[in-house]
Amino acid sequence: MEHLIVGFRDVLDPLTLMWVTVGVTLGYVLGALPGLGKATGVAVSIPLTFYLQPVAALGLLIGIAKGSAAGSAVSAILLNTPGEPSSAPTALDGYPLARQGKAQKALKMGLYASVIGDFVSTLILILLAAPLARYALLIGPVELCAILFYSLAFIGSLSGASMIKGLIAGALGVFFATVGLETETFIPRMTFGLLELNDGISLVPLAIGMLAVAEMVVQAGNLKTLDRETRAMADGTSREDRTVLASEWRRCLPVIARGTLIGSVVGILPGLGASVGSFLSYGATRRASKTPEKFGTGMIEGIAAAESADNAVVPSSLVPLFALGIPGSVIAAILIAAFVLHGLTPGPLMFKQQPRLVADVYAAMLCASFILLAVGYFGQSVFARIIQVPLRLIIPGVLLLCCIGAYMETSSVFSIYVMLAFALIGFFARKLDFSFVTFLIGFVIGPNLELSFRQSIQILDHQILNLRSHPIAIAFIVLTAVTIWLIGRGRTRKPYRTPERAGTASISAEAEYQPPSTGRNNR
Amino acid sequence: MTSTTRPRALAAVLSLALAATAFASGAATAAGYPDKPIIMLVGYKAGGQTDLVGRAAARVMSEKLGVPVKVVNKPGAGGVVAAYELKRAAPDGYTLLFHSNSVINSEPLVMKRAELKPDDFEYAGMITAYQVGMATYKDAPYDNLSQFIAWAKKNPGFSYGALSPASRMYMEQIARKEGLDVNIVPLKGGGDMINAILGKQVAMALSGGINYKYPDQMKMIAALTTFRHPSAPDVKTIEENGYPLGMDSYTTLILPKGTPRPILDTLAAALKAAETDEKFKKIVAAANIPIIYKGVDAATDEMRKSAAKNKTIMESAGIQPK
Repeated sequence: MEHLIVGFRDVLDPLTLMWVTVGVTLGYVLGALPGLGKATGVAVSIPLTFYLQPVAALGLLIGIAKGSAAGSAVSAILLNTPGEPSSAPTALDGYPLARQGKAQKALKMGLYASVIGDFVSTLILILLAAPLARYALLIGPVELCAILFYSLAFIGSLSGASMIKGLIAGALGVFFATVGLETETFIPRMTFGLLELNDGISLVPLAIGMLAVAEMVVQAGNLKTLDRETRAMADGTSREDRTVLASEWRRCLPVIARGTLIGSVVGILPGLGASVGSFLSYGATRRASKTPEKFGTGMIEGIAAAESADNAVVPSSLVPLFALGIPGSVIAAILIAAFVLHGLTPGPLMFKQQPRLVADVYAAMLCASFILLAVGYFGQSVFARIIQVPLRLIIPGVLLLCCIGAYMETSSVFSIYVMLAFALIGFFARKLDFSFVTFLIGFVIGPNLELSFRQSIQILDHQILNLRSHPIAIAFIVLTAVTIWLIGRGRTRKPYRTPERAGTASISAEAEYQPPSTGRNNR
Repeated sequence: MTSTTRPRALAAVLSLALAATAFASGAATAAGYPDKPIIMLVGYKAGGQTDLVGRAAARVMSEKLGVPVKVVNKPGAGGVVAAYELKRAAPDGYTLLFHSNSVINSEPLVMKRAELKPDDFEYAGMITAYQVGMATYKDAPYDNLSQFIAWAKKNPGFSYGALSPASRMYMEQIARKEGLDVNIVPLKGGGDMINAILGKQVAMALSGGINYKYPDQMKMIAALTTFRHPSAPDVKTIEENGYPLGMDSYTTLILPKGTPRPILDTLAAALKAAETDEKFKKIVAAANIPIIYKGVDAATDEMRKSAAKNKTIMESAGIQPK
């Protein structure tokens, strides 16, 4: 504790605080600009960290991660183009709200949910990093495989109007994830001899194409209607449309609490990542709601659920890094480099050898939460004006940013081709009403599921009975079966759910609170 | 003069003129080199071990050369994508690739589309070595390869973590010779490997040297290089254990074929400065990466020898490019 006080004293130095603010602002702006995100932010700032003091460098990087996770909600809400895949569920309800003239309200809810999720998850990191880490090693490939099956089954229920179409889209996502070198024999699968595809299709250009470019094309086709709406739209003159009302707070607080918990657990778990967190939270909220059919038309709970979980993933993915030295996310992997650069090895010894630096980092993270609130509050009053701009002025700019974003990660034009190819798929998915959300989930979870399944077969020595020594895995397999049964039953029954039945549904919604553990993700 | 010879004459004059300008510009670059920023490609994503060393080296070289050295990450196929990009670049010393030499001496042996040979490039030196080896958790009941083999014979069906075709090859060769029953678990990347070892999911795994960052949790069983690792001088190499399978890799400055020798020497001298640069030493020491500098000739020699040796090893193990 006294270390934390020293930490705050170090961080409250104007120069350090400035770098944290720079990081949060940079992350927030990059996140808010469609097409750009964490990947770009990190690429821009890595060289900078070579010249900064350790605390400032780490504060800057953490600030970028936190800022971009929150900023990506802005473009999701205003333009229906999520900055990162993890904000895709935010757009489902955020964009309808914005079109109803409640953009300010939606943005505020998104920001508050982000900050709360982020702050609480940071506290979890500080207080529980060491104890939680012990569970980390209980989760091996066998357990992970079962958890991924469960996530896939649960999120499968998000598929929108037609379950069959949702499942087809999800299967297509898994299919595209199989491109690249196979992990055991190293035979290239469906690369058509292109070396650029050896490592698989990269998530960043794929997501930009599916989410942002395709959406811009659809909006361009609708230009006249949307512009007429924009002119007619009286942007929130009344207080009701501009702020989050007390009644909405009451409805959203439990949702945010659940989202934060889901996000934190998902962050600690290996191989899941922010997208899974926000989708799980959105799905759980919809299932627990008394009016699930209203989701997608502008339910403010949808924003609260997605954003709180999305942001809670960021700090908690550092738990395995700090406690065990295992990188739990992309940003954690980058942080390892920054730590090493300044002569530190992340891991349990870090607390003994460099308690002061650890405390400094914790303090910087807590400060970043508050800075995020301030930056976001001022930022969105600027960004919210975008909604008044005619679309024909917005679309070219967004397309340019998309190209830059796709190019930045690999410095190659090939990524732009990937983006365009998936823009085409995304366009037809929208027109034919296939869920691109389940497509993305399939794409993100697919490769991890395949890898962990193959690992499990080897670890279990090809004997299914060896599962007996993996009780956590068995629990999740049972849960998966129960979830599928519940979904199947829910589908056949109409009307959806009477208020009394909401209780049964929340059983499965609470299931993901179970596994405290740790790890990393690949993408 | 007929109409048929005129184009030929014209072509001759043109090619002469081209040759003259090429010569002139070649001479000029060698003398005034460098007079504009240099692009340093890295064939891995930002934030990894090679990227770290590359950026630290770029800083030293930039100070030495007096022009900015800009790092551009161009990941894909273990660096092969970046190597092809370099192949297309002008041999003027303003585009170079900082990468593991495995992209040329190992990747083509397992990747059919990667047709890269040592003679396709020029080399301006090597600066650090990769400490590839077989690692396991600290309290494992074996400390060296022979103890491990004895343990493995008593524990059929044990698991071994592999990250690449070569890492499978090592275990397959050992298992074939000793008659071991092994399950080879595919791993993706260093993070996955650390997870698998610390979680005791595998009895042993291939490590690119990252295990030295965890001295209290992991130990090295055998070095897979021809030299003993500077970070663990007591651990025997695979060759000392009776398997002639040692394969070395170094971070190497690679340039397009035809880059003038004076430019290579200028770059090698700038790279050598990193060997004694305090900040560079601090950065790589923190990551347990040993500095082993080789100049232009030594690096070129190492490339040719290692490519030939690796080819023999992989071919006799029956590994075909896919």
